[in-house]
Amino acid sequence: MTANSAITGIGSVSPYGPLAGLISQCAVEPESITAWKTAGLRRAFLVKPFRPADVVPGLKTRRLDRLSAWALVASSLAIQDAGIDLGQLDRSRVAVVLGTGFGCAELTESFFQSAAVNGWSGTDPSPFPEGLANAPASHVALWHGLRGPNITVGSTGFAGESALIQAASLLRHGQADLAIVLAGDTLTRAVYEWYEAAGLLSPACYNAEPLPEGGGFVPSEGLVALVLEAAGRQDARAYAHFSSGRCATGGKAVETIRAMLGDSVPSLTICAGNGAPCASSSTIALAREIAGPSADMVPAEAVAAGLADAGAFLHLILALSRRPRSGHALLLGTSGDGGFAALLLELS
Amino acid sequence: MVTGIGIVSPYGIGLDCLQAGMLAGKCCLAPTKDVYPGFEGTTAAVGGLPLPANGADSRYSRSDRMAMVAARDAVANFDCESAAFRESGVYMASTVAGLSEIDPAIAEDPAAWYRRGSGLARAASYPPAHVADAVGDHLGVRGPRCAVSAACASSAMAIALAANMLLDGVAPMMLAGGSDALCPFTLSGFSSLQALDPEPCRPFDLNRKGLNLGEGAAVLVLETLAAAEARNAHVLAVLRGWAMTNDAFHSTAPQTQGNGLADCMRLCMEMAEVGGDEIGYVNAHGTGTPLNDVAESNAYETAFRGRSRPVPVSSTKSYFGHCLGAAGALEAAITIAAVRCGALLPTLRLTEPIESPGVNWLRGEVRREPLPLAMSVSAGFGGSNTALLFGSGGFGNGEFENREFGSSSL
Repeated sequence: MTANSAITGIGSVSPYGPLAGLISQCAVEPESITAWKTAGLRRAFLVKPFRPADVVPGLKTRRLDRLSAWALVASSLAIQDAGIDLGQLDRSRVAVVLGTGFGCAELTESFFQSAAVNGWSGTDPSPFPEGLANAPASHVALWHGLRGPNITVGSTGFAGESALIQAASLLRHGQADLAIVLAGDTLTRAVYEWYEAAGLLSPACYNAEPLPEGGGFVPSEGLVALVLEAAGRQDARAYAHFSSGRCATGGKAVETIRAMLGDSVPSLTICAGNGAPCASSSTIALAREIAGPSADMVPAEAVAAGLADAGAFLHLILALSRRPRSGHALLLGTSGDGGFAALLLELS
Repeated sequence: MVTGIGIVSPYGIGLDCLQAGMLAGKCCLAPTKDVYPGFEGTTAAVGGLPLPANGADSRYSRSDRMAMVAARDAVANFDCESAAFRESGVYMASTVAGLSEIDPAIAEDPAAWYRRGSGLARAASYPPAHVADAVGDHLGVRGPRCAVSAACASSAMAIALAANMLLDGVAPMMLAGGSDALCPFTLSGFSSLQALDPEPCRPFDLNRKGLNLGEGAAVLVLETLAAAEARNAHVLAVLRGWAMTNDAFHSTAPQTQGNGLADCMRLCMEMAEVGGDEIGYVNAHGTGTPLNDVAESNAYETAFRGRSRPVPVSSTKSYFGHCLGAAGALEAAITIAAVRCGALLPTLRLTEPIESPGVNWLRGEVRREPLPLAMSVSAGFGGSNTALLFGSGGFGNGEFENREFGSSSL
């Protein structure tokens, strides 16, 4: 399996804070939600408030959804981490691909709020265009002057995986030379309470006890940006090479993934459990079936699993941060209803 | 190859009734008052939408239902039990998705809203990915499912990305398109931006005042030539080229000179290895807003510079409004229909066109002429642009007569 693209830069805004490169800190704990009034203790993995301009000088994010602001910060950190001078690149050949489950949920809720207060005929215009799901990717293009394809994708359970697959496809087909690939979501009251009403939350959301195994998840928020370059451009500094990826809704998961792997034997399987209570166990079961009972497995980290559809990149960078990087890694996710996503990476 | 087209539009279900209505010059835009209190404007709605099997379930939004009906229409003549069909992928676009099912009360107390009636199920239809899932579940296909949100360029982009996926070999067949319902959220949003024309819109006219919103869905079935040949498929058109760019200029306004859109059209023609002179018709984005139409006409001047005669262009949004995330796929279908029947549709109500010497603004009567190649152009908030180039490729009545097109064609 020949890799066609390399991950050469990483930037993130997550409960670990805004960071360039891998994450060296120990695991974070859920925090009490204070952004809205809750009926008793409610916990989640939260991004601590920060001023984007303190991280990226000159950045103006006042009217933007937090997802847009994080996309700007994380993309800037990833570009810096990759050591890229965008001024030296043909920016019409740089793509932006974002994977997100809920898009700009905060400003969408703000628009509903203005309709609740003033009626539909008196809504505030400012949250409307900024609440569009593609606003974060557009702002990344605008800030960095990137005129290549600008794509925002969603996929139940696999928004991050889909974004990486699409970005690699753009490079493979010569539609871009480099892509800024992002995956993330914000946590809002409407999203949190939807999880709660659907019975998806872990008991750890309601008390300060350690996270129990299974039985729901603790919602999380954040965004990770990767710089994906055509293989060969900066191989020496690559964190990993992307070989191939597949997502499907059901059916022949094992056969499809084995066909994708070809002769490659993953030395590491990263379980990208995506929040749904049954996803973690079904991912582990699928991983064992593919890689064998003794395969080295990185279990899903709660902070990344809480990001649900958009957690893949946080799973990936946490695994890269904590494990030796050699051989092939299989990042594997399941949606709990037969769907799966698999990414094959060659670790550097 | 495009081997299936399914349509839900204000003209009804199917490409035939859309084509017949448009060729007859029928405009579906009508005065509308009842979308929310205080709204008075012009829209084009889909009447009498049939409920697909299980479509009455409250977990499906109106955008979901339109997409399901369009998808079923697209595969009406397919063997839906075949192994190849079962492995199909779905790439759908939507900007509204389930927003049509949510009301402002959710912002006041989400938990209470979820407890009320079917609130929890209705909210689950909010993400655009739900539209792709609705189509995939409805047809029982198991390939990859994805949704794209790129504002008004969304469904053209879905077609382009689905074409990439086919070339990547991730599925034997891709269903790609878009669906968006009319709803208070978008009408209020565009109204608050003062982007709506209260009267029927006038794209590319000097007296244009804005856009009208419409609704609908379109789904195209894409297959590789080999796959289409293997099952002796009826080929409707060849997707000769596709390209995507971004203006990187402004959140809502297009780049004044239309450079990003011009680059997009140029890249699309380069992919198909054709020159500007070979393009017989462009189905424009043509919203009718003051800024878009000027930028777009400038883009045509740039992209088709050197052409021996002005490029024929029209905006079919003048017939049934702007269907947002469904617009690109609907207009792709209209472009294919134009290629197949050699009919260039005029822009309605275009009396004083923008001065643009490189453009032949189509108006008045339908123009009949052979049309080997036609382009569909889409743009959207956030600076996204997409161009799709369709040709007959010599295919007629299911016969594979001529394969003189580039290796990347579908």
